[in-house]
Amino acid sequence: MPTRVITITSGKGGVGKTTTTANLGVALATLNQRVVVIDTDIGLRNLDVVMGLQNRIIYDLVDSIEGRCRLRQALIRDKVLSNLYLLPAAQTRDKSSISPADMVRVCAQLRGECDFVLIDSPAGIDAGFRNAVAPADEFILVSTPDRSAVQDVDRVLGIIETEGRGTTSLVINRLRADLVKRNDMLDPAEILEMLAIDLLGIVPESEEVLVANGHGTPVAHEQRCAAARAYHQIAHRLLGERVPHEPLLTRQPTLLERLLFWKRAER
Amino acid sequence: MTNNISIKGTREGLTITLGQGELDPILEELGQRLQTQGAFFRQGQVALQVDNREMAEKEIGHVRELLVAHEMLLRTVITTNIITQRSADALGLRLAEPPRPKETAAPHPQIETTTPRSSDQQRGVLVHHMVRSGQVIRHTGHIIVIGDVNTGAEIIAGGDVVIWGRLRGIVHAGSSGNREAVVCALDLSPLQLRIGDLIARPDEDDDDQSRTPWPEIAHVQNDAIVVEPWNRPTRGT
Repeated sequence: MPTRVITITSGKGGVGKTTTTANLGVALATLNQRVVVIDTDIGLRNLDVVMGLQNRIIYDLVDSIEGRCRLRQALIRDKVLSNLYLLPAAQTRDKSSISPADMVRVCAQLRGECDFVLIDSPAGIDAGFRNAVAPADEFILVSTPDRSAVQDVDRVLGIIETEGRGTTSLVINRLRADLVKRNDMLDPAEILEMLAIDLLGIVPESEEVLVANGHGTPVAHEQRCAAARAYHQIAHRLLGERVPHEPLLTRQPTLLERLLFWKRAER
Repeated sequence: MTNNISIKGTREGLTITLGQGELDPILEELGQRLQTQGAFFRQGQVALQVDNREMAEKEIGHVRELLVAHEMLLRTVITTNIITQRSADALGLRLAEPPRPKETAAPHPQIETTTPRSSDQQRGVLVHHMVRSGQVIRHTGHIIVIGDVNTGAEIIAGGDVVIWGRLRGIVHAGSSGNREAVVCALDLSPLQLRIGDLIARPDEDDDDQSRTPWPEIAHVQNDAIVVEPWNRPTRGT
């Protein structure tokens, strides 16, 4: 199976690209895939923090590109999963330090060595974004359910589609089903209609993710919370399995509610 | 030397036809031809005929610069390719269509025409895809889109605008100041609607979600933009 290089991007900042990259990396690695996640947000690196690997960085992406180390030396193995590696960004440089061609070269070296390369893109549609999308065969767009984020994804899709690049799919992040019900938040159906894109998954808003990011242990390491389950389902879908999208509950239901709702959802 | 370039004199000036193939070698050859035969062509206005070749603004710009270097002015682009038309339009060049031998200018004899609107003879461009945020479709004639126009997109037409889909972006019909232009859409929900020099925006308290979309047409009446629904079929008619 050829290596799949996927860039996770969004246009808008703060919608969950880094969290999604980290958790998808963990979820795929849990399914025995060999995964390398790359942080391309040079100067504002975060993927290492979210994965809890920040104090293990000796060499980074820029060091590797500028030849101060071999690519292998810059890869940091995950604390828990031995088939998950991080290629961190540099903290003391900026986006102009690397070029799209550099990224293509790095990924070319990784092709054949792993099953998935997940590239965490910086926010925006400028040089940093261009670096991140250059080597990709596929794109995962991340959006929160609000008009600004959706419009930015639309813009990014316009750029990707005009250049005839690879397949695209959407992850709707931080969904609050209760707000959607009250009409105070965009419905996933509306979002999909506006963007005309395939839905890869919906990750509900979850306190556990906030806490986990702080601790440096992505929630996907365990499968207890709804967000973790969502990431694992997305990983299964990426591997070609047909996993139906879950109906969203707003809080833990009582036993009675669970029985009733479950029946309704099965219809 | 290939037969990729032809330079013909016409009443209006010169028509330079570029054939198929890589643009750079063709431009190089054109440069050489202008160099050797140049004196004959100087001071002329040029129409560039490229048939269905797709050209970006930059590429047409190169041709224009090459001509300027030989004291010629590129005025018109003759093409059937939409992208090329857009590029030419964006550079402020005139557009013309390749001459079609059987075309007659007279209207079809069986259709009664009263006073044709001045824009009826204008050219139009048809776009058959969704227009995403950040994309702009600009044309001196009419613009027809089969697909949605998203919130961050812009449609700017010298003529009319017809959107066979949801119009959510900014639309400007009659952009050169023509108030006779109209805007139609299957779902007319633009961010801003402009006809000629008039601007309208949707009611702020209009709750989009409750409305069932219905085809509508926006036009100017008594110095204001009015929106009318397409005739709903009534029972019995």
